[in-house]
Amino acid sequence: MKNTIKVERAIKNLTQEELAKLISVSRQTINSIEKNRYIPSTILALKLSKVFGKNVNEIFELENDD
Amino acid sequence: MDQIQKELNLLPENFKKIAFLIMLLTVLFISLSIFKVIEIDNRLVKKIAGSTFLLSLLILSITRNKIEDELTLKIRVKAYAASFIYGVSVTIVFPLINLILKGSFESKKGVHELLISMFIFYFIMIFLMKKNR
Repeated sequence: MKNTIKVERAIKNLTQEELAKLISVSRQTINSIEKNRYIPSTILALKLSKVFGKNVNEIFELENDD
Repeated sequence: MDQIQKELNLLPENFKKIAFLIMLLTVLFISLSIFKVIEIDNRLVKKIAGSTFLLSLLILSITRNKIEDELTLKIRVKAYAASFIYGVSVTIVFPLINLILKGSFESKKGVHELLISMFIFYFIMIFLMKKNR
């Protein structure tokens, strides 16, 4: 799965730390999600969607091997 | 993070100090026994020290860190699973190693040693998984 969190974060001018605080996770979790090392839960994905004001499908995309 | 606390019921962060205190007291107890300051049967010292050290490791493993989220929860669960698999593997393999090296299935390793090594394995796994996240 790939995501556009880094781009969305840049649009909103948020650091990883700031985004982490907004959705109650650690900065390392945001970093892991951005690097596709960790797939967030539904709740976390929805929280990210709420922060960025975009649909979950616009932030996360399935890849062929998923 | 409150949701994580509800799911896991981890001990508050302060309990780490209690765990390290118990560990320190255990080391002190062993030292006092080795240097004959207190006269206690060696087997009893081993049992008491093993139990208190195990208790300190248990408290450490179920104490929350500063930041707990779904990723740290996942890491904890994976580390517990890995240490369980390690424990079972050691239980199966050690008698075979004893057989090859000493010609006997019997092992002097007790339950305390096994559980302590499982906890150590757990903490190593936590460290490695947090480092590579």
